[in-house]
Amino acid sequence: MADLGRAALVVTFGLAVYALVAGGIAARRNERRLAASARNALYCSFASTLIAAAVLAIALVRHDFSFTYVAAHTNRHLPVAYALSAFWGGQEGSLLLWLLILTGYGALAVAINRRLLRDLTAWVVPVIGGIATFFSFVLVAVASPFDTQTAPFDGAGLTPSLQNPYMVAHPPMLYLGYVGLSVPFAFAAGALLSGRADERWIVATRRWTLAAWTFLGFGQLLGAHWAYVEVGWGGYYAWDPVENAALMPWLAATAFLHSVMVQERKGMLKVWNMVLVALAFELSVFGTFLTRSGVVNSIHSFAKSSIGSWFLAFVVISSLFSLALIMWRLPLLKAKTKLESALSREAAFLYNNLLLVALCLTILWGVLFPIVTQLVKGETRTIGRPYYDFFLRTFGLPLLLLMGVGPLIAWRKTSVRGLTRTLAWPTTAAVVTGVTLVAVGAGSSSPGLIAYTFSAFVLATIVVELVRGTRATGSLFTLVARNRRRYGGYVVHAAIVLLAIGIAGSSAYSSSVERRLAVGQSMTLAGYTLTNRGVTVDPKPNVTETRAHLDVTGPWSGTISSGDNQYVNPPEPSREVGIKTDWLRGEDLYVIVDEAHPKTGLIFVQVLVKPLINLIWVAGIVFLFGSAVALWPDAREQRRLVARLAPAASA
Amino acid sequence: MPTRSPARLVVALAVAGVLAIFLLYTAVAGHSTPTLTPSEIQGKSGKLSVVGTVVGKLRGDSHAASGLQFQLVDPQGHNTKRVDVVYRGTSPPPLFRVGRSVVVSGTYAHGRLQGSDIVTKCPSKYTSSPS
Repeated sequence: MADLGRAALVVTFGLAVYALVAGGIAARRNERRLAASARNALYCSFASTLIAAAVLAIALVRHDFSFTYVAAHTNRHLPVAYALSAFWGGQEGSLLLWLLILTGYGALAVAINRRLLRDLTAWVVPVIGGIATFFSFVLVAVASPFDTQTAPFDGAGLTPSLQNPYMVAHPPMLYLGYVGLSVPFAFAAGALLSGRADERWIVATRRWTLAAWTFLGFGQLLGAHWAYVEVGWGGYYAWDPVENAALMPWLAATAFLHSVMVQERKGMLKVWNMVLVALAFELSVFGTFLTRSGVVNSIHSFAKSSIGSWFLAFVVISSLFSLALIMWRLPLLKAKTKLESALSREAAFLYNNLLLVALCLTILWGVLFPIVTQLVKGETRTIGRPYYDFFLRTFGLPLLLLMGVGPLIAWRKTSVRGLTRTLAWPTTAAVVTGVTLVAVGAGSSSPGLIAYTFSAFVLATIVVELVRGTRATGSLFTLVARNRRRYGGYVVHAAIVLLAIGIAGSSAYSSSVERRLAVGQSMTLAGYTLTNRGVTVDPKPNVTETRAHLDVTGPWSGTISSGDNQYVNPPEPSREVGIKTDWLRGEDLYVIVDEAHPKTGLIFVQVLVKPLINLIWVAGIVFLFGSAVALWPDAREQRRLVARLAPAASA
Repeated sequence: MPTRSPARLVVALAVAGVLAIFLLYTAVAGHSTPTLTPSEIQGKSGKLSVVGTVVGKLRGDSHAASGLQFQLVDPQGHNTKRVDVVYRGTSPPPLFRVGRSVVVSGTYAHGRLQGSDIVTKCPSKYTSSPS
């Protein structure tokens, strides 16, 4: 079995090299038969990678511990779903998943566009072939998931905290996002290489970008929710380099999704879009480098391995390639029109882009800071949460405001008087919200107050737009169906507002208290009274569960339990928190029992009340819905774009 | 006929604004913390973080005045230099134990780290399989 997997990966490597070399020659010499052959090689590389992936999946499900990888990441007790999740639980398997998605995405994107954009896809094949060559080489020569050994009786198992449904879905979601960014990058490079730097590559890859961005965004929220319910520290995002590695390409892709609208509509920002798509792709590979090289300290214990230097080399080479390509084709990337007014839709998109990229780069600076200080001062220094929080507020709050203003400004130019009239209702809503919040005593946090005021402003602009559009078309359904991209975007904006309200509420207005409690003793927080009712120990075959039970009275009444699990195989503990959600208030009562003594019943407990935190998870569902609306095929829009871009295609 | 584009001005102002905020932050509020291994800590003092592997016996209680006491050595095990740690605060994360890689933040003085925060590294992800 392992031989089959190994052979399949060698075949993938050969096919990827062929797609790169033959595809490049075919595109350069305009040889159609050779181009078709290179394209077929790309399709077949997906098939051979699928065989390799199937071999590993079967080995995981069958607990075949003769595979070193299977023995290192699973054991006999592991349920099938978690055994399969070990596919991406380790280095080699996750790289195989990356290659599988890359060849699958690449083959599909090329197959869909091969007739409409023949000259462009001829160059896309060698670009995707090049990326696949790198990943298949690493899997064949550096980190093979098909190394074998004498099978031990049992494997090492999967860490208990990773045995969670969120961990089954979160990593593949991120990979679908990371790797998805390769498609717009390959088409952008193809456009530059073929000299067809018009808007066709953007139209061809818009849904690919949107899908990758959705996966990446939703994947991060799944990871945040896992951290919240499983890790047991009361938070959901720690600004850890590995978390930032997923956030940075998402921010760059967010900027790209907005700025392509300016290029489609006005023929501007062509160089900027090329830079953004390259930045998003490079950051996604950089994230992989970061998580596997051990160059920075992270709560995720990534080992220092030789694989990091390969990824660093790939990031450097592909960045230089992208930069050289853009410089070479600069004359083709001249804007068709110019920005006429600083008070226009395109200017608003530009401001939004600058803020998003600034936020992305400041996070990158924070991630790189330890490496830079080590190189410059010979001492590793890190910057923590205050740095990131400061820049999140500095760039995030104006971004929130722009999300409301941007869609209401006219293209080309708008007058101050016109804008004032348009923004009258949203501004009123914002002011009323701010005054009300101060009146009810929620003015203790300035960033929280500003976030809520801006959120009210954005929600009001969305409502104004929907009401205005519905009046014009006669039906909300018709309105959305006629312009799914625009109204899907509004739904995503609403999701971001919910996210902002959730983040502001749970961080600016949360409360916390710690106490040591004997049996019968009580503590109070935010109207809740918690009384220790004792500790129980429940031994099970693979785990011993210790729980402290607390009676709760207040806004909610009942019993809440928290403690820890001690597993036998692997011999790891996990903290089990008690969470009670009040959906009406969006609030969580979050109980962490640090120490529980079964004999005495004495416990040390930390209680947190986190207002509105559940809006963050609701935002994830709304975000998914909005993205689905924007992604849904729209024949009317497609006809519009084809008509507009036809002259460019025939030129 | 379009007039002179304000785009460059907007970009220049934005870049300048970002730089100004950045400089302001690093000048006024920004303070980074040295992150050292036990072998690098000699001669240092003040606020810092130590990355290391927990060794020795775990003594005491993080909630008590005497704190939880343990020692750290270099994560790679190349150096035998040990750092004494006294940690006070909420209980350390559940994965904290002897042999585990941790990052302890606090104040270092007189050869002892007064820890106020412990981060235990999450095991298993992306480490290479033993071969």
